[in-house]
Amino acid sequence: MNWNDHLPALLLAIPLFGAFVAPVASPFGRTTRNALLASFSFLTLLVSLFLLRHTLTNGIAVYVMGGESFDLTLPLGMKLPVRIIMEVDAFSAFMAVCGSIASFAGALFSMNYMEKFTGLGRFVSLYFLLTVGMLGMMITGDMFNFFVFLEISSIASIGLIAFWRDRPEAVEASIKYMLISQVSSMVFLIAAGALYGKYNVLNMAAMGALIKPGTLEKLALVFLVGTLAMKCGAFPLHMWLPDAYAEAPSGVSCLLVAVSQASLYGLMRVCFSLYGVNLGGAFIPWAMIVMGLSSMFFGVAMAVVQHDIKRLIGYHSVSQVGYMLLGLGVGMLVLTDARGMAEYGFTAIKGGIFHIFNYTMYKALLFLAAGAVYYTTGKRDLNELGGLARRMPFTTGMFVIAAAAISGLPPFNGFVSKLLIYESAFAVHPALTVVALVTSVLTLASFVKVFQTAFLGPERSAFATVREVPTAMLFGMGVLTLAVLVATLFPSWTLSYLVEPAARALVDQAGYVGAVMGGGL
Amino acid sequence: MLGTVYTGFGYWDVSSWIAFFTIAAALVLWLRAQGREDYKEGTEQDEIYWSGNVVPEEGAEITVPASSAYWGFRKAMAPFYKILTGMHTGIGTDIVGYYVVVVALLAVFILL
Repeated sequence: MNWNDHLPALLLAIPLFGAFVAPVASPFGRTTRNALLASFSFLTLLVSLFLLRHTLTNGIAVYVMGGESFDLTLPLGMKLPVRIIMEVDAFSAFMAVCGSIASFAGALFSMNYMEKFTGLGRFVSLYFLLTVGMLGMMITGDMFNFFVFLEISSIASIGLIAFWRDRPEAVEASIKYMLISQVSSMVFLIAAGALYGKYNVLNMAAMGALIKPGTLEKLALVFLVGTLAMKCGAFPLHMWLPDAYAEAPSGVSCLLVAVSQASLYGLMRVCFSLYGVNLGGAFIPWAMIVMGLSSMFFGVAMAVVQHDIKRLIGYHSVSQVGYMLLGLGVGMLVLTDARGMAEYGFTAIKGGIFHIFNYTMYKALLFLAAGAVYYTTGKRDLNELGGLARRMPFTTGMFVIAAAAISGLPPFNGFVSKLLIYESAFAVHPALTVVALVTSVLTLASFVKVFQTAFLGPERSAFATVREVPTAMLFGMGVLTLAVLVATLFPSWTLSYLVEPAARALVDQAGYVGAVMGGGL
Repeated sequence: MLGTVYTGFGYWDVSSWIAFFTIAAALVLWLRAQGREDYKEGTEQDEIYWSGNVVPEEGAEITVPASSAYWGFRKAMAPFYKILTGMHTGIGTDIVGYYVVVVALLAVFILL
């Protein structure tokens, strides 16, 4: 048996096993529970890295769940795939690596951070379920299966956001997320059901081969786009996001950042691989661009006036998602125009995908740094913080790196992905780049405020006993800092070996369809 | 090894920026090294100068709180912020309402 062939299944099996083992292992004590959390997260990360290497070397990996053979997508006599098929191309594997890094970092950070909570067996269980939901969304090739993973991640998120159940704000944030999440999931299910009713398939590759632009297809597309845009936090569907990110424990906020990117992945998969050339005109690409611009500007405008550190970072998530929507929207705009794609479309897609990696790493790091501040001071209000740089030098250093990266300051990785987006968006219309640049300036202003008020300034007597956070929490932040620095120092390597293969896989609808259908239909 | 990124319109070379920051950092450290070392610790020579006023013991008294940062910007943009913050009611039905309205508008425009 070649283990490489079973990597898609292992990627889901390991955290799922961890989720079920956690309640059983938890009574054995803190050390066992923490070892489980760290080791299973690390194993998941390793598997995602092997899966990425496998897809970069061997092309798209397909895995048939419950079939007579794991790689037999169309058994003899079948014209359409009926089993649940995992389909992992370079884009899926890239996303899985991003998500697994965030999951591992959040797990390390949570080992100490969650000490004050009770019911930690349930926490570990929900944390792994959220990881499973996220990774499942990233590698599944089945529409209904995507919905199932979306629901798993939603339910786990609801539990984790409200995990600090003594805080009414946490419970309120969770209820709001539950409300919008369930309404939108039903809309997603209606869209998936409508497409299934018409085409008799749930497999995305098969559906991509069959789909034709029509009224039902357009309505289904709008339902799918609306739901996934809400889940990834696009304006004005983002209202749940700042509350949820702020109230969740920081290790969970770190993972929620990656989960939102799983929804963005779903959005791109629907637009590029499911509909692709059948998107039916420029409306959806322009809707993405407009949502991207408004997310960017209004998100950062709200962030500038916040003084709760986690809410501020939460609003920046809305803003950063805008960059990715802009980049990928510009690429989508020229999907059927070979010249436009060669001139600027592919650069825009590369910028959008590179920004997904960058955003996941530095935004997760910012949430962990904010969590570290809260862990030591017990405060999130910037008005009550100050002078922490002397007491928490490592946290401060890592916060500065993340803040510089999100603000797009050269030479950090955020600058490189933003540069690709700016230049390609400029080719569509200079106004798009102007909005993006103004957003970047406001982002910098916002993080200068955080740095100045929380970390600089004279020491406060209330924080005389404050010390640097425990080593495991520093390691959690260190993993993400390392990822930011690698992307900063080796941008051409990151683009060549991670981003470009992912971008090529995303625009290759025929390749995605062909991996499951062969030359069928 | 660090590589150059070609954007199609220009390029980004991280190594030149790192060289720039290294030179700038060396210059800053050299300037810092030029400072006098013969001051007397514990005297008024190493006290913070705060516009000639006595420096308060509590740090919080001499810092600008975050909610006062960018006061001018927020004042100038007050009408804009009134609308923007007004949208963020935090009420569950409003959150769902925005979702329904956006999906409905997308549905109308895509079918036009």
